[in-house]
Amino acid sequence: MKRSKTIIARATGLLLCVLISGFTVLAQHTGQQGNTQKQGTQKQGKSKSTQQKSAHQNMKLTDPEIASVAVVANQIDIDHARLAQEKTQNTEVLNFAQTMITDHQAVIDQATALVKKLNVTPKENQLSRKLQTDSENSMKMLRAKSGSAFDQAYIDHEVTYHKAVISTVENTLIPNAKNAELKALLQNILPSLRAHLEHAQMLKTQYAKE
Amino acid sequence: MGRKLLTGMLLAVLCPFFYLQAFRGVSENARPKTHMVQIVRMQFIPAVLSVNKGDSVVFLNKDLVNHNATERTAGKWQSPTLRPGDSWRMVVTSSADYYCTFHPGMKGKLEVARATAKTRKKK
Repeated sequence: MKRSKTIIARATGLLLCVLISGFTVLAQHTGQQGNTQKQGTQKQGKSKSTQQKSAHQNMKLTDPEIASVAVVANQIDIDHARLAQEKTQNTEVLNFAQTMITDHQAVIDQATALVKKLNVTPKENQLSRKLQTDSENSMKMLRAKSGSAFDQAYIDHEVTYHKAVISTVENTLIPNAKNAELKALLQNILPSLRAHLEHAQMLKTQYAKE
Repeated sequence: MGRKLLTGMLLAVLCPFFYLQAFRGVSENARPKTHMVQIVRMQFIPAVLSVNKGDSVVFLNKDLVNHNATERTAGKWQSPTLRPGDSWRMVVTSSADYYCTFHPGMKGKLEVARATAKTRKKK
């Protein structure tokens, strides 16, 4: 009787041990799976955003090159706005174009004053050349349009262009800038670029409703 | 007896104090103040400002680009173009939503506090 009790107690103990270790292994396995899945999702997400950013972030620019990009990028938007002033009859588009000219000229003036103060000569580079080539293409496309087709194409261009410039300033120019004043100027430009994008998107939404 | 005396003394000290405080409140309300709205990084700061009728508001442009302040609903008032460093003063007569016509996303609000019975009597 006593012996059978001991056997039952040992068997129960063994069963409990097996069950506990079984649950532990199962829990660890499930956890690992979950972690692996999470890591996989994160990796996928990371790899996409990394690819998008790496094209910008890998580009090394010196301060004179950044100054050149800043001036060229602002001048391009002024050129597009001047074309809009020639071609549009729409008051809201005219007002928007005038704001682009005034604001981007103000930024160019600030950048010019800073490079003069720092005794830096803006240096043409791969990025500033690419911006100019793209600009020539979009100006050509816009010149071929008229009336409301022009207005829509111009506003579409402004939305796309400001998004691209904001990304370039955030991901390429600011991280590469060495001089603190140049970096601060670039950071101060961002809110006005975002306001321009918001304004262009507002006009684009109005066109979509009409 | 002692408690009554103490209460009496306490009231005698506190009553003039509260009276003076109340009087000071009325006179402060009656005197127009000058408030500041700074324009920084494409924002009116503070975006919402509480003022009394007759107070002045100075808009100061501390941004990189030109701005203005324009009453939104009926264009009742509009500042001139404020270049960087420029300022403009206006006397507030009523509550108003305003914005910058150059950058329509920039918005602000002036809230005129309702005149209290005391301030109405004073005026």
